[in-house]
Amino acid sequence: MPTAQIEKKPRKTSGSPYPLWFFLPAGVIYGVLFLVPTFASLYFSLTRWNLFNSTFIGFENFLSFVQEPFLIKGLINTVIFAVSTALLKTIIGLALGILLTSNIRMRGLLRTIAFFPILVSTIGIGITFAVMMHPTRGIINVSLELIGIDGPGWLTDPTLALYSVAFVEVWRGVGLASVIFIAGLVSIPRDYYEAARIDGATKWQQFKRITLPLVQPATATVMILSFVYGLRSFELIWTMTKGGPGFSSDVIASVIYKQYQAGFYGLSTAGNVILFILIAVMVMPLVAYFNRREVDL
Amino acid sequence: MSGLELKKVCKSYGAVEVIKDLSLQIESGEFVVFVGPSGCGKSTLLRMIAGLEDCSGGTVEIGGEDVTDAEPSDRGIAMVFQSYALYPHMSVRDNIGFGLSLAKTPKAEMNARVEEAAKILQLTDYLDRKPKALSGGQRQRVAIGRAIVRNPKVFLFDEPLSNLDAALRAKMRLELTELHANLNVTMVYVTHDQVEAMTMADKIVVLNKGVIEQVGKPMDLYNNPATAFVAGFIGSPQMNLLEGAAARKLGAEIYGIRPEHIDISRESGLWRSTVRQIERLGNDAILYLDVEDVGSLTVTTDGQTDVVIGDMLFATPQPQNEHRFPTIAR
Ligand SMILES: Nc1ncnc2c1ncn2[C@@H]1O[C@H](COP(=O)(O)OP(=O)(O)OP(=O)(O)O)[C@@H](O)[C@H]1O
Ligand SMILES: [Mg+2]
Repeated sequence: MPTAQIEKKPRKTSGSPYPLWFFLPAGVIYGVLFLVPTFASLYFSLTRWNLFNSTFIGFENFLSFVQEPFLIKGLINTVIFAVSTALLKTIIGLALGILLTSNIRMRGLLRTIAFFPILVSTIGIGITFAVMMHPTRGIINVSLELIGIDGPGWLTDPTLALYSVAFVEVWRGVGLASVIFIAGLVSIPRDYYEAARIDGATKWQQFKRITLPLVQPATATVMILSFVYGLRSFELIWTMTKGGPGFSSDVIASVIYKQYQAGFYGLSTAGNVILFILIAVMVMPLVAYFNRREVDL
Repeated sequence: MSGLELKKVCKSYGAVEVIKDLSLQIESGEFVVFVGPSGCGKSTLLRMIAGLEDCSGGTVEIGGEDVTDAEPSDRGIAMVFQSYALYPHMSVRDNIGFGLSLAKTPKAEMNARVEEAAKILQLTDYLDRKPKALSGGQRQRVAIGRAIVRNPKVFLFDEPLSNLDAALRAKMRLELTELHANLNVTMVYVTHDQVEAMTMADKIVVLNKGVIEQVGKPMDLYNNPATAFVAGFIGSPQMNLLEGAAARKLGAEIYGIRPEHIDISRESGLWRSTVRQIERLGNDAILYLDVEDVGSLTVTTDGQTDVVIGDMLFATPQPQNEHRFPTIAR
């Protein structure tokens, strides 16, 4: 059509360099794997369902989930677990990243070792540590005994169990965190540090005034990823304590799973929706905060 | 304000010797330019003066004091990097004042010194911008400002103009020369551009493969190059260097004559040649001649010349401007 040729192509204000159909495959995958399940679970959370049929019951599931006696405990535990693992992974990951970008010997080998836990399945790690943390026969307490210390029941003491699992989660995740930090650290030009040295900056000042602000994108990535992971965390807790002793190390995910096991499908779906909303509400301000402070190199 | 002395400094990376037994005296207030081809060790030498690289041997003295093992910040130097090394997360003001804030200088004094430096460098209107929002020349000036506020005894520059376009480079050359005159401090300047060396230096140090080929005033190097390497490096277009039979006929292993020291004529002369190519620069024209038994010859002549490609010309070197060297540079 001649008129079609005269017509100017619409200028995309978004400034994307790709035509729309480029996004189609990704859009379809996103729709099938993410949007559909999300809305389906939104719907099912409003029903009482099993594999064959479902009855619409409104917000009843949410009401009974919220009335679940150990939910508050699970909520608090979830936040403790997510905050402590995210902070520790960030701090230790950054320290490891700095160590592994310095001129130490066998740097390559050390990087591989730090990354290694990522390659092991979380469940495998959980089982292994559960064995090592056994109060009388576990290697940790046996070793402590050798030097005359009476080790606590890492996973059997209700005040300790959650933190023991959190420790294992940090051990598992800190390798990935340090890899992200290494990527961020090596992108900071060496000139910056040399200029700072000439200006008389101590190592600590170099860290505070140059490294910390410029590694910020990596810090944000690690913080947000570990925080979200911590909020959703399930495998380690389930393999190591099953939420016990009692309900002392239950998190939302394990509470949900227990209801699912008991056949309360609608209830557990409602729990999932609540978990999703909780994550969104807690992570959004974090993302906004980091976005505002971003600097580009 | 003080001078600088290098005594037999050397530097090796593993088995590779980058700087070999180099000694050099720089007077107080001098503008010294290190010039040489890429990889000859200019940056390394400058960084050894700064204390960013340690010496494998020898001593570095600044203001009569041995600073060989001193920290960079204790040497009374300031350095401007080729990349400028401006902190992207800090404003121009904070970049310039970075060193002062580290030294816990009182706020009022810091502001005064930053603003004074900004005034010298015409940066006053940009103090609250981030480096990203500045042009290349402005960034360059911020980097210089950061050096100025330290009140250093010696300024070190590592190819500070190489990221700028030709026009801006010419302007900054002039500004740097004026800055040197105003501050009256010692400046050591690294470049691979012989034009920068010729125009700015009180003293040029020509480096080649980690050793000094020659030290001297720009015009001394131009008029009396000590080696064929210096002769080829200083001056633009490059000096014609003839070797082999053609040179021996003129009584030298290597015979050098600058393009501007060759007379051309249509009637008679030493070398009979044909014009292969002409570059017209306006005021000058550069002729590329093919000479039988001698090879290619570059000649500069008047920009208004009526010579065209393919013309037959006679070229004659001016006897008082001939250079004779024993052998080619290493
Ligand atoms: N860390 C290093 N390890 C090994 N060799 C190095 C190192 N740094 C520099 N060199 C070598 O030292 C020599 C001199 O390097 P330098 O950077 O001083 O050259 P330059 O004269 O500044 O060159 P350019 O004009 O390209 O900047 C080069 O051959 C380089 O390969
Ligand atoms: Mg260099």
